[in-house]
Amino acid sequence: MGAIWDIIGNEVTYSSAMRFAVLLLFAASGEWVAERAGTLNISVEGMILAGAFGSAVSYDITGSIPLAILMGAFCGFLVSTIQANLSHRLPADQFVVGLTINILILGLVGFLDNVIEPSVDKASQATIPGLASIPVIGPALFDQPWPLYLVYPLVPAVWWLVYRTRWGLEVRASGEDPNSADVSGIRVNKRRRQTIYLTGLTSGLGGAYLVFGAVGAFADSIVGGRGFIAIAAVIFGGWTLKGSVAGCLLFGAVVSFRLSLPDQGYDGINTEFLTALPYIVTIVGMAAFAHRVRPPAALAKPFLRGLD
Amino acid sequence: MVEPGTASGAPSGSATSNAGPTVGSTEGSILTTNQWRDDPPAVEVVGITKRYGQVSACDSVDLVFHRGQIHGVLGENGAGKSTLMKILIGLVVPDAGQVIIDGKPSVITDPIDAAEKGIGMVHQHFSVVNALTVWENVALGDQMRLNPEAIRDEIGDLSRHYGLDIEPNAVVGTLTAGLRQRVEIIKCLRRSPRTVILDEPTSVLSPGESEILFEGLRRAVEDEGMAIALVSHKLDEILGATDLVTIMRRGKVVAHQKTSDSDAAGLARAMVGRPVALRSEREVPSSETDSPKRRPTKPKQEHASLEIDSVHANGDDGRVLLDGLDLKVYRGEIVGLAGVEGNGQRPLADLLSSLMSLASGSVRVDGKPIACGRAGAMAKAGISVIPEDRHDSGCVLEMSVAENLFLADPNLVARRGILDHRKMTYRAERLIERFAISCEGPDAPMWSLSGGNQQRVVLAREMAHHPRVLVAAQPTRGLDVGAIEYMSEQLRQAAAAGVAVLLISTELDEILDLASRLVVLSKGRIVGEMSREAVDIERLGLMMGGAVP
Amino acid sequence: MTDVLGSDPIDGAAKEVAAARGRHLVLGEIVTLYALSVLVALFLSGLLVSLTGGSARDVFSALLDGSILRPGRWGLTLGSAAPMLLVALGTIINSKAGLVNIGQEGQLLIGAAFAAFVGTRLGGETTGSVAGFAVLLTLLLAGGLGGALWAAIAGALRFWRGVPEVLSTLLMVTIAANAVGYGLKKDWLLLAPAEGRSNRNQVSEQLADAVRVKRITVFGNEFPLTVLLAIALAVVVTFALSRTVPGFRLRMLGQNAKTAQRAGVDSTRYGMAAMALSGAFAGLAGGIMLAGGDFGNYQLVPGFSVSIGWTGLLVALVAREKASAAVLVAFLFAALRTGSGFLAATGVERKITGVVQALLVLALLIPPAVLYIRQRRRALNASKERI
Repeated sequence: MGAIWDIIGNEVTYSSAMRFAVLLLFAASGEWVAERAGTLNISVEGMILAGAFGSAVSYDITGSIPLAILMGAFCGFLVSTIQANLSHRLPADQFVVGLTINILILGLVGFLDNVIEPSVDKASQATIPGLASIPVIGPALFDQPWPLYLVYPLVPAVWWLVYRTRWGLEVRASGEDPNSADVSGIRVNKRRRQTIYLTGLTSGLGGAYLVFGAVGAFADSIVGGRGFIAIAAVIFGGWTLKGSVAGCLLFGAVVSFRLSLPDQGYDGINTEFLTALPYIVTIVGMAAFAHRVRPPAALAKPFLRGLD
Repeated sequence: MVEPGTASGAPSGSATSNAGPTVGSTEGSILTTNQWRDDPPAVEVVGITKRYGQVSACDSVDLVFHRGQIHGVLGENGAGKSTLMKILIGLVVPDAGQVIIDGKPSVITDPIDAAEKGIGMVHQHFSVVNALTVWENVALGDQMRLNPEAIRDEIGDLSRHYGLDIEPNAVVGTLTAGLRQRVEIIKCLRRSPRTVILDEPTSVLSPGESEILFEGLRRAVEDEGMAIALVSHKLDEILGATDLVTIMRRGKVVAHQKTSDSDAAGLARAMVGRPVALRSEREVPSSETDSPKRRPTKPKQEHASLEIDSVHANGDDGRVLLDGLDLKVYRGEIVGLAGVEGNGQRPLADLLSSLMSLASGSVRVDGKPIACGRAGAMAKAGISVIPEDRHDSGCVLEMSVAENLFLADPNLVARRGILDHRKMTYRAERLIERFAISCEGPDAPMWSLSGGNQQRVVLAREMAHHPRVLVAAQPTRGLDVGAIEYMSEQLRQAAAAGVAVLLISTELDEILDLASRLVVLSKGRIVGEMSREAVDIERLGLMMGGAVP
Repeated sequence: MTDVLGSDPIDGAAKEVAAARGRHLVLGEIVTLYALSVLVALFLSGLLVSLTGGSARDVFSALLDGSILRPGRWGLTLGSAAPMLLVALGTIINSKAGLVNIGQEGQLLIGAAFAAFVGTRLGGETTGSVAGFAVLLTLLLAGGLGGALWAAIAGALRFWRGVPEVLSTLLMVTIAANAVGYGLKKDWLLLAPAEGRSNRNQVSEQLADAVRVKRITVFGNEFPLTVLLAIALAVVVTFALSRTVPGFRLRMLGQNAKTAQRAGVDSTRYGMAAMALSGAFAGLAGGIMLAGGDFGNYQLVPGFSVSIGWTGLLVALVAREKASAAVLVAFLFAALRTGSGFLAATGVERKITGVVQALLVLALLIPPAVLYIRQRRRALNASKERI
């Protein structure tokens, strides 16, 4: 029991958990919007990886982290244009497209990484005075590499976009009842494409954050399926933004255990188990909650009228 | 005046060609002096044609909607009214013809475009998003910034003006069908359309609600010079609410006249294409036959063929769908289940199709209880169902006609688990012949068949099982007259052969025509029962409206 | 009898699709579209190679040499194609039932692990050919069982807890890899005895000679007999889906679940069966990879699945649920794989073949989608021209 209290009381646990949760938050905030519009967008994994690689390469060239982060968002966006236009301009199956994109980006990044071999640095630590000295969670939230802080305005912005703007209303209508939305004069597939573009941007940001904020290096295995965990966080959260954020924090904490537990001296736990743990927790979490919540009624159902 | 189309010959020619001018000449007598009187027609349709495969949904249709008038568009289900209206709001692209709006030829590309051109539509289905609130639904499709306060105020104003009261913050999915339609109407009126199309607006309303609706519409027409197109297949509604009426049959305009010059018999004749006895004027079914099987007043059976005992069922969202429903159907009788749509018809049909499980209660066939919700349990017990939406649960569009004929029991055409294609074809051909299904053959894909023929495939399959109980849910919806008569005859024959028939229909006429006993469904339970001879239409209407006398 | 369009919009939509499918499909258009998109995919691949300093022509001829032309190479390609085909067959089964299983990579790995466990435990000392064959059969069955169990977990989560199977199957790939990694560390599970593995610490015992799949040689090309097994299973799957009662019911479930429920097809039972079967095929693929000899040295190591599960899934996607097409596509993708062995000489990284593969898949997704859109656009334009 003592060991558990050590872990729970340790600031490092929270800092490390936050670092991984933020990647999930970036990706999930876009993914949440896409799912509210009716797309279960599994290419989010490829979007993160493209963002990570794009930002790493542009940092290698320009040496500027802000520029590299912008480039990361752009690369995520580029990938999202493939998904959006194949599944919501042409009527190709969204899972098939998403899966193929993931394989394509993994292959492409693996191939180019060997050719370019970008070298990157970690972004500088930014401590927010005062807030950072809150006990236990202060350092986790307010003493982190600066790109992490980008997520703080992002999440409320996404909430505002979905619940307070006309665009958001149309997005929700498209995900709930595309036929009615269409009859009301909403371009369902256009809205769906736009939400995928948004996912591309936030996931690309997430990829850049992963490179500069969390890891400080690039490898083609850097994302390692965490995009899928972001999707699971949205489902776990019952398609509410609040729930998705909670899901990201929970899954982020579990992802971090693999690094933080051995760091804190608990190396008796099997590494395979720790690596698989986030996936296990994700599946168990979905099993516990998925049937209690109501997905957007048209989730993963294509809308064919108006594809012209 | 143009006469209503006479007997089946070639009624369309003369009527359509001078429909426009005829209306023009009668205009003055109908319109009061209003400033929009000299405006060009709100909407004019010239030579619109739309074909689906071999079938013409609209065949060079000409039609004029004037401001300040309620214009009835009458026709049987499938006469082409809905297609025409969908063309007007840009949901369907016509193959030929022109739409002229306020005197200008226009192409309507989609519903937004239609709204911009002043055409709004109140849909029968598919138009409000249940997960959103009333004000969000009303705001849907606007272009300007979202301003909840302003929209809520506007809803308040419109509600007061037209007498359509509604709570702007309610989630639409929690409202009754009548209120949902009210949302739809407010949404449409808020954009101040010059032309409003109402597609079968009363199919989900009780008689009282319909009255309120038409009062509001009359106000909109008289105060604001709106043109209203009222699409309906109900004669009394057309006679009571419209100024002019256009009658369509098989995709063509067959007649065009002032409502004040029309009577029910004439309209019915034009709509159907030959003299018909209005269903409700027909003889009471029981007197057509004196077979005691037909309508057992004191059933000799120990058990009813179908016995539904105080069933309760809830939807996924927790809404009560069936609320203590009791129903017995004996062999050889046709029980008509009347009621306003959305009061539990679908859940009941789902229950009898093994698609739903129960919170409590039981279903028995010949006294034997059935495991509700278990796949195929109802079919196995001898309940055949002709579902309301055949694409939803009646057939598999991607499969062949033959395959669709043996969905429920493929073992009939298989040997040791392997399908015998030759046997299947042979048996399918016989069924195709017996039920006069028009298709390219047993291997034709189901999607290549017309709606009526798909329905026949479903009927053929369900009857081939020699059912104990036959449930027909809205069996004639979307069919033309010939198909309707065929279906009605099949139901009568089934009952004569000793099957217990449950007819679920929102068409009172259909029930009065076929059923020997009526029960009324309201809010998921049976609220009344009467025999066909003792039908009291007024009391029936009150029961359907939920006011049990 | 003249039936007229029903008033429901679904009816109209179905008719529109029917009309589009029925009349306007011009063969030339289809061929052109497919040719064009494949060409674009190949061009992009070539461009990528050129931009990174390679020669597209060299890469192309190396791929061709390595997969078919050089002596003995097409045998290798067949050996690689067999497990891909098996995975694809399983995928076709779950797709027909309307389920999305994308975790074959994990199911394959678990299958291989089950096969390795059974094969090394039962067959350690086996020398006789009859006994060896019996062990081989058992290990292949164990492989199928392992894959089936792994996929059935995702099925159970879907049918009893509402977890989308597309995600659970995917997440379970990583869990499978780690579970097998763990097993390879424990000698009571898969780890070979200390004397048999020099200094490697994550490797299973080798299968005994008698337990391995026989390899045959045709025109100097050697391949395992399991290639024939895979092709036979493709025929069986095609037949079972189109001509048997259970196959008929499975298709019914995939195409209209409600109608199927009415007709007595229990979606849970049939869905679980489809999931398990699909996993069984992937697991069997793992088994034949282990015992076939084309993948490693008849022993299990971490990363043993070498993306065959993913590739098999792509094969099924490209083959559009047709087992006969899957045979050809599996050979094509296997050719890319074996061909990539010759890329080293060209100085181009072999990961390029993954890119080529994915681009080809995307290219083959586009034509049917474009054809659909074109029908609609034609109708729209025709109406605009009239004004």
